[in-house]
Parts: sequence; C-alpha cells; structure tokens
Amino acid sequence: MTTRTASLAVAGALATAVTALAAPLASAGGMSMTPRQHTMAELHTGKFVRCFGVALAGHNDCYAGPGTTCAGTASRNYQGNAFKLVPTGTCTAITTPYVTIVQGHGSLSKITEAGR
Amino acid sequence: MLPWAELQEQLAAALRDPERAPPAECIGPDGARATKRFAVYRNNVFAGLIDALAESYPAVHRLLGVECFEETARRYVSQHLPRSPVLLEYGERFSEFLEQLEPLAALPYLADVARIERAWLEAYHAPEAPALDPGALAGIPAHRAADLCFTLHPSVRLVRSRSAAVTIWGLNVAPPPWASLPPDPIAESALLARPAAEVEVVCLTPGAAEFLAALAGGLTLGEASERARSVHDTFHLTEHCTALLGGGWVTAAHLRRRRTRGH
Amino acid sequence: MSVSHTAPRGPSPDAVPARAGVGLKAAHYRVILESRPPLGFFEVHAENYMGAGGPPHRYLTEIRTHYRLSVHGVGLSIGSAGPLDEPHLRRLAALVHRYEPELVSEHLAWSSHGGAFFNDLLPLPYTAETLRRVCEHLEQVQEHLGRQILLENPSTYVAFASSSYAEADFMAEVARRSGCALLLDINNVYVACTNQQCDPLQYLAQFPLAAVRQIHLAGCATDADEQGRALLIDSHDREVADRVWFLYEHVLARRGAVPTLIEWDQNVPAWDPLAAQAARADRALHACTLQDRRHVALG
Repeated sequence: MTTRTASLAVAGALATAVTALAAPLASAGGMSMTPRQHTMAELHTGKFVRCFGVALAGHNDCYAGPGTTCAGTASRNYQGNAFKLVPTGTCTAITTPYVTIVQGHGSLSKITEAGR
Repeated sequence: MLPWAELQEQLAAALRDPERAPPAECIGPDGARATKRFAVYRNNVFAGLIDALAESYPAVHRLLGVECFEETARRYVSQHLPRSPVLLEYGERFSEFLEQLEPLAALPYLADVARIERAWLEAYHAPEAPALDPGALAGIPAHRAADLCFTLHPSVRLVRSRSAAVTIWGLNVAPPPWASLPPDPIAESALLARPAAEVEVVCLTPGAAEFLAALAGGLTLGEASERARSVHDTFHLTEHCTALLGGGWVTAAHLRRRRTRGH
Repeated sequence: MSVSHTAPRGPSPDAVPARAGVGLKAAHYRVILESRPPLGFFEVHAENYMGAGGPPHRYLTEIRTHYRLSVHGVGLSIGSAGPLDEPHLRRLAALVHRYEPELVSEHLAWSSHGGAFFNDLLPLPYTAETLRRVCEHLEQVQEHLGRQILLENPSTYVAFASSSYAEADFMAEVARRSGCALLLDINNVYVACTNQQCDPLQYLAQFPLAAVRQIHLAGCATDADEQGRALLIDSHDREVADRVWFLYEHVLARRGAVPTLIEWDQNVPAWDPLAAQAARADRALHACTLQDRRHVALG
C-alpha cells in the first residue's frame, strides 16, 4: 500500500467507527442501549474475539485489594526463618504445554499509558 | 535513659529481624524482658503485610497454595517493607521478585499473572476521567486521520505476556471448582481498564496488543495500525477503532504535526 | 515547646449522636446502600480511601450522603521520635476536606520509622520526652487539618522500663496540653490491663472521661506468654467480650452516652452479626440515656 492509500484506509476505518458509535441503536432484547453499552456487550459476548479478544468477567466483588487494620493476629507465627518453597496450589495442575510456550527471550514489559 | 529515637531504632530493627532480641527496655508485668510479648508485634507486622499481598495477588496465592505463598510473601516483606502507609499501593515489586525466585522458575507464567493482578489494582484505584465522545472526531479531515494521537484513560493498563497468563489468571480468580484449561495455549496479553464503575479485563490478540502499545507509547493512529498489521496481517482497524472509542478507553485526541508535507 | 491550651475548632457536641456505628467494610457496601440500616455513623480507615478514584470512593461518597462519618487514621505515626510524614498528612487533609467527616481520630502509637511503614500500632514509653513529642505532633496535625482530632489509647503487649507515666495519666496530659479529644477503646483497655496485670476499673478511674468523644468496642483473642500468663491479642475478629461489655456499661454510667463504634476488621462477618453487635451497644446507650433523663427528672 502506498502512504496515501494507507492513510485513506485509516480515515475510512475511523469514520466508520465514529458513525457506528454515533448511530442510534435498535433495542437489543427489549433493552435500549447506548453505543458504549452496546460495544461493551459485544466485547463480553465475544463478538470482538477476532479483534480485541475475549473480555473476562469482572471480579470486582471479590477483589477489593488490601485494606489497613488496627487489629493484631494471634494464630500465626513469623519468628522463624526461611522454609523451602514448594508450590502446592493450582499451579500443580498446569503442565505442558502451558509451561513450554513461554520459552521467550528477554523480559516482559508492562506498558502503561503515555503521560502518567 | 535511652533517648526515644534510639530506642525506636532498636525496636524497628528487632521487628524486622526474628533473630534479634527485643530491647531490654521492653518488659512484661514482672519487669523481665518480654520476648514472647514483643513477638506479638513482629507477628502483626508480618501477618498484616502478607495478608495485604494475598489480597492484592489472589490468583498467585491460589496458584502457589497457602504455605508456599506465605513463605514467598514473607521473604518479600522482609526485603521490601512498605514505603508509605497507603497499603493499597503495597507490593509494586512483587512480580519482579517472583521472577527472580529460583525455586519458582518452573512457573514461568507466575510473574505475568502477578502483573495482571497489579494492573487490576492500579486500574481499580485510578483517577476518574470522562471518555472522549467519538462524535468529536467526526470533523477530522480524511487526510489527517492517520495523524491522530490518543490519550488513553488513566486506568488503562496493558500487560504483555509470552505465556497464557490471562487464561491462567482468569481461571484462578473464578470461583471454584477449578475449570479445565483450553487445550492449545497461546501467548496472551491483557488490557485492563476502568472507564466507568468496574474494572474490565480484555484478553488481547497479538495485533490488538501491538496496536494499543503503540498508541499508549504516543504513536499516531496510522503508525499504530501499521505496527499491528506487521504482527497480524488480518488486523481490522475499523473494529479496533470501534472498540477503543466505544469502550471508553480514550479520553482525548490531538493531531500530530507532520514532519514532511503530504502528497 | 509550644503548647496550645485552647482547642481548635472541633466537632459540635451534636455532630454525631450518641448511638452505635460500625467500621465500613467493602464486603458490606451493597447491603448498606440497599437496606440503609439505622446507624449513628460509619467509620473508615483513612488510608483505605487514599487512592485517586474507583469503587471505594464511589461507595463512600454514596454512603456519606446518608450517614455521619468518622475518619480513623492508622498511619500518621504520631508516637514517632522523628518528624511526621508530611505527604501523608497532606493526603489525610485532602481526605478530610473531601468528605468533611464529623470525627477524625488517630492513635497513641507509632507505625513508621526510617522511611519504612510497619503496618502495626507500635508501643512507646510514656516519658516527659515522648509526651512532648506526641503533643508537638498532635498540634501539627490539628493545625494542618484546622480541627480537633481524637487520640485513641492503644492495646499493648509490652511495657517499657523507662515509662514514668501511667497510660491513663499520659493520655490526660496529652489531651490537656494539645487540646485534642480522646477516643476510648475499651477493648484496648481490657487487653492492655490484662497484659500488664493491672485493674481495668482502676485504669478507667484514672482516665479523663470528660475528654472522651467516641468509644471503640472490638473482640480480642486469648494467648499466653512464656510463663503461661494471659496474653490478650487485639484481633478484631470476633464478638465483643462480655468483660468489655461490662466495662462499657461502667463507663457509660460514669460518662453518659458517647458515640460507640463496633470494630470488626478480620474474619469480617455477614452484615447481620455485625449489626447485632451495634444493636447491643445501642441498647446500652439507650438505657444510659434513660438513666440520665431520670436523674434530671428527679434532680
């Protein structure tokens, strides 16, 4: 593709997306949705699998992160030193090929948005 | 009598190190040195911070099992006490720490699962910001569309992995029983964002991950699209623009000035 | 040392009614908003709302519109020898400005040293030196926030050979010099007195009850030291002990009704068992109010 046709393709894609998001939507299953709700619904039903992949169910209720406490603990003891690290959790059920596909190179980077 | 600053220094050192006896100043009701009583404080410090890590990293906890997680977290705590009383920020170096633990090298996906959990927490507590109204882009002239740069929502996090970390994470935060793994794992990346009330997690195709990483890095829509196509030749830009703008993951857009004149 | 004998602007006497409140937990956000239980107030740990945004603020903002609020800090390290963490003080001030809570409180303890946060309420000796330091820190906090705060008595597991004040006397002197109010944690009294083998009734007799603006009640766990002597742990993971209810009623009889918090921070139960503890405190407060009225009527 030449630069010009590539640039027009980008313009076309953007225009189609903007038009689609601005269009009033027919009611889905009796519920009328905003374009944003519609997009999220499609993400969650997997319609975007080809593009953005699968949206995973939210875990907000069980996943509020750590909180502070004024409380002490009676039943646990951390006075000793190192134990051996022997995993016994669900990782023991994850074997090849889940372990072997990771033979990558270099370290993995987390990318956050620009400007933070 | 020891100045309080010096005694506090001794107390802090004894809290960090189980091998170190508490200062002789610390006594029980009989006036004798209170070793076991002092140990309550040491337990509180470690148990509280280990619990904080368990709450930040529930999938890693489930993957390792209780004892292995607690020992891993105890080692992290002893090397990295929090630098701030805002505990919801604690554990920012846990994924790197996991990566360097030799006994856990057989679980190469573990650090990436931890990165997803960290990104989840960051998205959860990120500032609010209104999404860009897609209609605001309707007036962009066609010949300039490729020069658009987007500001992503402050909650957006991208975690790129060479393992099936997103699937493994998802199974380990789902309620029990343990669901079975799909038979053919692929390298996965995750987008985490909280454009509205709840954190949303999307498992990305390689093209989508490349596209978002490029946009997050400040590249234009045209450049990001080209990069995505280079790793994924059936990359559909229209669908990606729709998801990006419709998902509320963009808060602002601007046109980048061209370095050379157009055609 | 600069000592202020006049209290900065504090809560007005009726800012929080003398009723029971509970510590707000994420697990209860929804049931609270859906059922709007009748409670005097909610209390949050300041540090849990120091993120920039997200569900914690969304829920707290909504709950704040329906309830009175107490902000309880666990991270200022007022008992430290070193200076206060100023960025943290600014975060606390921003939170207080955002939610305008009726009550703001902190602990007679330290939790940070040398740039590290230990995440526990750690003990200090009660001496002329620490009294001066605690008062300086309290004045700095009250000046920065532009309001009076409440200081809570700690649970303690050790004592210090160098202490020259009894804890109740130390608290009284801190309140007198700094102009702060006091938060009386009756479970902490029970835990500390058991661990130090002293009489909680004696402790309470010495405690400056007139300065108390709020009471905390919580559950504790039982352990033992090397000699087999009782060692109570301030675990906040169960119902309030009977002995603590007894001491609570004793305090109410002497002090009159005071806003009372049920703290349950670990093994957080479903809403109903927690609400039942608050209801029990409310019954004690109600009985105490009736008693007061009777005194007035007879007087």
